[in-house]
Amino acid sequence: MTGRERRAGMILVLGCIVGLAGIALTFFVSGMQRFWINWIIWFLFLLTAGLGCLFIVALEHVVGARWSTPLRRIPERLSGLTILMVPVALVALFSLPVLYPWARPEVLRDPMVAGKAVWLNIPFFSLRVVACLVLWALSYWIFVSRSIRQDRHGDPGYTVRVRRFAPLFMAIFGITLTVVAFDWISSLDPLWYSDIFGVYLFAGTFLAGLAVTTLAVLYLRKRGRLQEIKPDHLYNLGGFLFAFIVFWSYIGFAQYLLMWYANIPEEVLWYKERLSGGWGVVLLAMALLHFLVPFFILMARNAKSDPRFLSGAAALVLFSHLLDLYWMIYPALKEKSFFGWQELSFAVLFVSAALLWIRRSMKRGEDMPVGDPMLREGLGFRL
Amino acid sequence: MNNREVFSVLGIFDSAQSLMRAIPEVKSGAAAKLEAYTPYPVHGLDEALGLRKSPIAGMVLVMAVIGSIAALGLEFWTSGVDYPQVTAGKPYFSWEAFVPIMFELTVLFAAFTAGLGMLLLLNRLPFFRHPMLAARSMPLITRDKFALAVEAGGKTIDVEEISALLRDSGAASVEVVESPPVHGLASPRFFFRVLIAIAIACCVAGYATYWAMKLFPKAIPMVHMLDQPRLGPQQGNTFFTDGSGMRMPVEGTVSRISIPYTVDEQEDPSAMGNPLPRTAPVLGRGRQLFNDYCSVCHGILGNGETTLTAAYEAKPTNLLSKNIAALTDGSMYHVIMKGKNSMPSYSADLSQDERWAVLHYVRVLQRALDAKDEDVSSAQKE
Amino acid sequence: MKPEAVLEKLKPAPVITGHVRLGDLDDQLLTPVGEKPPLAWFIAFAMTSTATLIGMALIGYTIATGIGVWGNNIPVAWAFDIINFVFWVGIGHAGTLISAILLLFRARWRNGVSRFAEAMTIFAVICATLFPLIHVGRPWLAFWLGPYPNQRGIWPNFRSPLLWDVFAVNTYFLVSLLFWYIGLIPDIASMRDRAANKIRKFVYSALSLGWRGASRHWRHYEKAYLIIAGLATGLVLSVHSVVSFDFAVSLVPGWHMTIFPPYFVAGAIFAGFAMVVMAMVVVRRTMRLEHLITDYHLEVMNKVILACSCLMGYAYLLEGFTAWYSMNDYIHHTFLQYIFGTYWWAGWLTITCNILIPQLLWFKWFRTKYFGMIFVSLSVTVGMWFERFVIIVSSLHEDFLPSSWHIYMPTYVDYGILLGSFGLFFTLVLLFARVLPVIATTEMKMVLPGSQPHREGGSHE
Repeated sequence: MTGRERRAGMILVLGCIVGLAGIALTFFVSGMQRFWINWIIWFLFLLTAGLGCLFIVALEHVVGARWSTPLRRIPERLSGLTILMVPVALVALFSLPVLYPWARPEVLRDPMVAGKAVWLNIPFFSLRVVACLVLWALSYWIFVSRSIRQDRHGDPGYTVRVRRFAPLFMAIFGITLTVVAFDWISSLDPLWYSDIFGVYLFAGTFLAGLAVTTLAVLYLRKRGRLQEIKPDHLYNLGGFLFAFIVFWSYIGFAQYLLMWYANIPEEVLWYKERLSGGWGVVLLAMALLHFLVPFFILMARNAKSDPRFLSGAAALVLFSHLLDLYWMIYPALKEKSFFGWQELSFAVLFVSAALLWIRRSMKRGEDMPVGDPMLREGLGFRL
Repeated sequence: MNNREVFSVLGIFDSAQSLMRAIPEVKSGAAAKLEAYTPYPVHGLDEALGLRKSPIAGMVLVMAVIGSIAALGLEFWTSGVDYPQVTAGKPYFSWEAFVPIMFELTVLFAAFTAGLGMLLLLNRLPFFRHPMLAARSMPLITRDKFALAVEAGGKTIDVEEISALLRDSGAASVEVVESPPVHGLASPRFFFRVLIAIAIACCVAGYATYWAMKLFPKAIPMVHMLDQPRLGPQQGNTFFTDGSGMRMPVEGTVSRISIPYTVDEQEDPSAMGNPLPRTAPVLGRGRQLFNDYCSVCHGILGNGETTLTAAYEAKPTNLLSKNIAALTDGSMYHVIMKGKNSMPSYSADLSQDERWAVLHYVRVLQRALDAKDEDVSSAQKE
Repeated sequence: MKPEAVLEKLKPAPVITGHVRLGDLDDQLLTPVGEKPPLAWFIAFAMTSTATLIGMALIGYTIATGIGVWGNNIPVAWAFDIINFVFWVGIGHAGTLISAILLLFRARWRNGVSRFAEAMTIFAVICATLFPLIHVGRPWLAFWLGPYPNQRGIWPNFRSPLLWDVFAVNTYFLVSLLFWYIGLIPDIASMRDRAANKIRKFVYSALSLGWRGASRHWRHYEKAYLIIAGLATGLVLSVHSVVSFDFAVSLVPGWHMTIFPPYFVAGAIFAGFAMVVMAMVVVRRTMRLEHLITDYHLEVMNKVILACSCLMGYAYLLEGFTAWYSMNDYIHHTFLQYIFGTYWWAGWLTITCNILIPQLLWFKWFRTKYFGMIFVSLSVTVGMWFERFVIIVSSLHEDFLPSSWHIYMPTYVDYGILLGSFGLFFTLVLLFARVLPVIATTEMKMVLPGSQPHREGGSHE
């Protein structure tokens, strides 16, 4: 097994090198815009996956769920992606003058945009980004590092303390994620606004977190770890996935319906751009892959605990979350072509880097939070 | 024992656990159909009794799909085909706006299939004549006891043996449930009476509905704004000195639509020419007006022969006759305006253009008696 | 703190306190139904039915005279009627949430309060449907809203959110009623077997449809119940979203907000839970059900209220921020007059009652003491009513055209009908408490310790 693992590691390192070369070439050959737009998409994709996992951990503590305790270590480890995204986010700040119209002086002459300059300016934007990163890192440290320490000393006091912190985290999470949605995605078109947008990104974030957690759990089970996780636990994961697929569609459709119906130029042009020039097909694909197909896969009761169906649905959801970000962000470039070797090299780089990071984090602590007093009860969970 | 048939033998258990323990034993001991009666759903009982999975989920899925298709079909057909109206500048088939109702009807169909399908189709309820409902243990079963029934299923079973088997497997007590005698309700005669009753009820309900619908809208306050505090035409009123509610127009008022006709007094009517062009639309209009107003007396062909002819002493004029055909358009127009002999004036019924259109048509009728070759267009000849 | 004490604290709170056996539930919950009600019940009933009669008389007056007797006038064409409609539909949502969503999430505390909350859903929806019906002015023609072939050769406008509302609210009512009734059937069967007099026996017998608790029935029953719960979950999201579409698809500043659908749903659950908490406090005190509706139940429900309050706070924040961010003068004006305009007090009352006062629930004292929770729940009920007032009246009364600005003042008929709707709601609740079990007896039996065989690792050991 170690030989196989080493080989996999080699491939991932190779992927990183190839990807790096590819994105460097993109930067110099295809222009900065193409480079930065892909950078932002992948930054947000991995960030939302990590934050989604952190949210799953916090959710368990907020509602005092017991069934999910045996699974908790997996999202805890995966939420480390948030930390990986710290340097990526800081680098992404260089994209502001390239991608964001409000950062360019000639656009500021538009009074509608000029009015927003109090909020949309580079120093304040950077300050918000840094503040968000600090808050996430702090939450990660409180939730994860100390949970892993609990494996050794088994002090139940941690559980009580973290439960007190969890509601506060929910507030932090809600506000920071909304800031991410408004700053990084919505402000690409500074005239556009939608107050549901934070909720929409939240739905995608939670789904991404659930999907990576589910995939990781199923992978580890296949490799002979986490054998105490029963189909009953998987069923709940599948149930959450199912419920939030519907929630995502509901929020996405509500936003579309209201803008379509009111037909106000500031709002509807955003959709106009994202429905024309081939993007309509992407939206249609999203309706299928993000909603209908996983919905029907997970509808049957047995499918929710069947690893094959569950992993298929989770993979679809994860992919379509990427597609969702791609669909929201890429049309801001207003270019005709939207897929090429440039996008592929970004995918290779970020997927390899993320997998390397996850591989490393999968060695942290035990596979289950063995020090948690609720573990025994969680293991005994049956439907 | 009396001659009633045994329906089942019940073993009463104190807990769900003892019921579950007993099932395998009884199953192997008695080759009859088993049924358990419990105060709440006991998990694992279906597998122990070997019951099939409930088909309800499939039924619901099918009906949900039918519900959404029905909703979409209704919305598409009414808004797009049968009654297309532009609202809010949206296309006739605006699927976005149809989604909410599609969703609601899907849920409605699905929920009713789940609920009523479960009750009526799968569980065959309501059913008040089940032998179990008359069992002495029923009040215990709905409270806190658990019963395992070995059912005869129409055959005779050895009550003693089964009772012993149930007791051995842990039943606290045993009850023999008998099939009730065939009740009068099940007889064909009763069925026939019910049919007649339904027929009578339908007639009464239909008649009552008819009268209700006829009278209900006239009840206060459902008068549909007919009852308004205003005067009707010709109604008297003391407000004005002349006692009439209606007012005459102010002196010198000119109607906006009527054109003064002064030909009679000042000039020769026969000098007037038909101002309208002889085109297909004008002739079509003329024919329609002629048929509506003139044909009653002058006949559809204008020859003065209709069913009304016999009722009049004076025969209506044959418009196709030589001397009429010799009249100028202006003279004939004057007749329509002023009337002649028993013919009244049609000035109030036909507008100026309409009168001229009728005249064009009358000319066509006259010409039709003596049609020339050049009247038919070259296209029609070929 | 010592580890043992901490562990004790982390143990799940029991949802039933004391030793309760299966039969006790029937004795406690089903027998009061047949008994003569206490004096307090009659006093309460007299009060609520008087309020109902006042409301009904004024509705009669409205119908006979026309809705000119209300304070509504252009541009405030929607006022108390639609406020009350939205308010009551919202109250209903807590019931569906408790009975359906918590069933799917397997929240243990659900069973104690689900039946009562479901009943409240149905009564609240009845109160809600009353308002659009009388607001159309000629309620006997309301059937024109239905899509049926008619000699006029016309169809309703399926692109109108008002028609979506008709479908959504009716579906909601029918499905809630079905769900409630199906849950009641086994309880009614138990009441049939315990009924003392013949009339009761006949009525309960007919209502129970001859339910006999056969395992061949239970297997369909449980599955169907879960399916309807799943469908009702979708309804919770959809119904209040459709209600919010009535506003949000328009171009009125302050109405056209994309956050309206989830924000309305959160607000509905918020107000509904406040109502359920108030009712549950009264029920457990007067019917001595402290061991079945425990302090834990109330505390959890108060936590839900707190969570909803925070969600509302988020929505208010976002609405305010986006209103500014939109850089639209009309939206700016509308939002400024929410808090500084004619009805500034309503705006501040909404914020105080919905966001500030519920924050008291962070303190355990307010979550567990009757006075604390009733204070918060009352403030939430008031706050949520005024929230709809702000949304509807404040947004409308200053139209695009300043010459048509108009200050809305309700008349005594408006107040009387509002009072009547509360009267109707509580009258129905009081009647319900006397004729049907207030707690889902069968569902409680299912979660009693030791009621299920093969329960591995259960929390009751």
